[in-house]
Amino acid sequence: MFKFALKNMAIKKAKIILIIISIVISACVGILAYNISEQVDSGFKSTAAYYDMIIGPSGSSTQLAMNTMFFTEKPLGTISYEYVENLQKDTRVNKVVPFTMGDSYNGAKIVGTSPDFLEGKSVKKGCLYKEKFECVIGSAVAEKYGLDIGSTLVTSHGLTAGGHAHEGNPLTVVGILSKTKTAYDNVIFTPCETVWATHDHGGEDEESHEEDTTHEDENTKSGHTEDEHHEESDNHDHESEDADHGEGEETHGDHGEVCAILVKSKSFNAYSQLSAEYGENSKLLVINPSEVLREVLENVDMSTQIVYILCLIILIMNIFIISVITLLNMYDSKKEIALMRLIGIGMNKINLVYIIQNSIIGFISTILAFVFSRICLMLMGGYVASMGIVLDVAKIYPLEIAIMAVVFVISVLPTIICTLNMSKKDGINE
Amino acid sequence: MINVKNVSKHFANETAIDYSDITFEKGKSYMLLGASGCGKSTLLNMIAGILSPETGSIEIAGEDMSKKSQKEKDKFRIQKIGYIFQDFKLIPEMTVMDNIGILRLEKVDISDVDNVLDSLEILDKKNKKVKHLSGGEKQRVAIARAIVKKPEIILADEPTGNLNFSIGEAVIKQLIEVSKGKTLIAVTHDERLGKYFDHIIDMNEVTGGRRDV
Repeated sequence: MFKFALKNMAIKKAKIILIIISIVISACVGILAYNISEQVDSGFKSTAAYYDMIIGPSGSSTQLAMNTMFFTEKPLGTISYEYVENLQKDTRVNKVVPFTMGDSYNGAKIVGTSPDFLEGKSVKKGCLYKEKFECVIGSAVAEKYGLDIGSTLVTSHGLTAGGHAHEGNPLTVVGILSKTKTAYDNVIFTPCETVWATHDHGGEDEESHEEDTTHEDENTKSGHTEDEHHEESDNHDHESEDADHGEGEETHGDHGEVCAILVKSKSFNAYSQLSAEYGENSKLLVINPSEVLREVLENVDMSTQIVYILCLIILIMNIFIISVITLLNMYDSKKEIALMRLIGIGMNKINLVYIIQNSIIGFISTILAFVFSRICLMLMGGYVASMGIVLDVAKIYPLEIAIMAVVFVISVLPTIICTLNMSKKDGINE
Repeated sequence: MINVKNVSKHFANETAIDYSDITFEKGKSYMLLGASGCGKSTLLNMIAGILSPETGSIEIAGEDMSKKSQKEKDKFRIQKIGYIFQDFKLIPEMTVMDNIGILRLEKVDISDVDNVLDSLEILDKKNKKVKHLSGGEKQRVAIARAIVKKPEIILADEPTGNLNFSIGEAVIKQLIEVSKGKTLIAVTHDERLGKYFDHIIDMNEVTGGRRDV
C-alpha cells in the first residue's frame, strides 16, 4: 500500500513538489514569526532583569536602556561620577556599575565600565582588566581585527569609524571574551579611567569638581574636555556637553563623568526609595530597564501582531490553495480511481492510498517547514544578536508544534473528505 | 457456470436492453458479436458486477451477483474475474510491473507474473513504462493483469479493438492459450477471429437491440 502510494506520487512529482513548496512557505513563516517573537521577548526580559535601575541624564528612557543593555543608540549625555560614589556608599545597594561610552575602534564601540559589568561573561583568553588602558575585547572584534592578548589598539573619538585618533593612549588587550552571539561580541571593554584619561579628564587642565550633592547642574555645566574634539569628529555624542569648559562638575577627584549608572538594589523597597530619590532630580533620568523594555516590546508586539495577521492570511490562503490543489488532484485521479475500481480494488483501499499519499506530503512539508524555520533562525541570529539576544535554534515552543500539527491536518483533511464522499457512492459510475 | 436470466438494463437516455436467457459453461470460450449498442459490453459489465441489472439475475457458480453489495461485487471481481478492457485501463506513467502490482492492494498473489509475461512475450518490457509500449504490447499487459491472478472467468471487452488484424489475431491466440480451463467471454466485432472460440453468440439475437422506454 505504502509502496504503491509512493509510486503513484513519483509519477506526479512536479505537482507534488509545488504542493509541498506551497505548504512549506506558509508553515515556515508562521513558525518563524512565533519563535522569533517569543525568543526576542524572553531575551529582552532576561537581559533587563539583572539591574533594577539605570540612572542617566534626562532624555529618552528607551535610548538609555538600549544604550546600556545592548550598546545601541547614542548615550544621552553624561552625569557626574559622584553619583556612583554616593550609590556605592548606600547600604540599600548591592551593586553599582558605572557606564561610559564615546570612543570606538574601527566602529567597534568602547565601553568604559567596571569589571563587574562583565560578571557572568566567560573570558576565553587572558583575564579581566585591572589597570587603565587595559581592555577586554569581544570575540567578534578579536576575530575581525586579528587581535590577541598583548595587541594594542588606537581608539578614535566618536562612536563610528573615522573620528580623531587617540594615538597617544593606545589600549592593550588583556582578555578576550568567549563568543556570546550578543552585542558583547562587538564591543571593547575598558575601565572608565581609560576613557577619562584618553580625553584628559581630571588632568591639570581641568578644574576640580565642586558640585553640591543635589547635582543640579551636571548636565548644563559640563567641563568635559572631550568637547575639544567636537570639531574634529561629527560622531561625538555627548549631548550634555557644552562650551562651558572648565566650569563643569565632572572632574570629581580623579574621576570624569559617566553616561549611565547601572544599579542593583538589595530589595524592592530599596529600589523604590532610590528610584524616588534620584527621580526627583530633574537633570537625571531613572529607569527600570524591565519596564522600559516591556514598553519597547509592546511596540514590537504590535509589529508581531501584524506579522501574525499576515501569517494567518497566508495560512488561510494556503488552506484554500492546498484544498483546491488537493481536490483538483483528486479530480485528476478520478480516472485512476475508476481504473482501480474496475479491476476490483475496493474503495477503502483506494481511500487509504490517497490518504497515505497526502499524509506523506503533509509530513514532508511539516518537517521541511520546521527545518527551514531553524535555518532562518540561524541566519537571523546575527541580526538579532545586535540587540543582545541569542536566538536558540533548538528552542521549540508548544505553539510551533501546534502550527505544524494544523499544517499536517490541513494537508490531509481535504483528501479524507473527498475520499469519504466517494466511498458513500456505492457503485461505479457508468 | 454463468446463468443470465430475464435480465434487463435501463439507461439514462431512456433506452433499455432486454436479454434472453444465456448460459456460459465453465472452461469454454465465447465470442459475443453484434452491432454497437446491442448490449455486449453491458452484459460483460453486469457479469463483472460493475453494472447492476434492473430485473432478473446473473448467477455465477450458484451465487446471484445482483443480490451482492458493491463491496461484495468488488471482492468477487478481484478474486474470480479477470477483466480486459478495450482501452487497456493502464496507468501510462507506471511500469508494466507496477500496473500489475496494483492488484497487491487487494493482496492478490501475483507471484506468477514473470511466467505470464513470458507466455505473452512481454517479459522484457516488465520494467518499462506503459506509455512507451505499442498498442499490442499494452493489450498484452492488460491481459497479463487479468490472468495473473488465475481467475475462473475472463471477460474481454473488444480486446483487439485498438489493434490491426494481425496483431489482434496474435493477441487473441495468446488470450485463448492462457485462458485454457477458464470461462472466457470476449466481445469483438471481427468475425474472422471467431474460429478461435468454442462458441459464437450473436448478441443482436439475444437482445434484439435497445428499445425506448
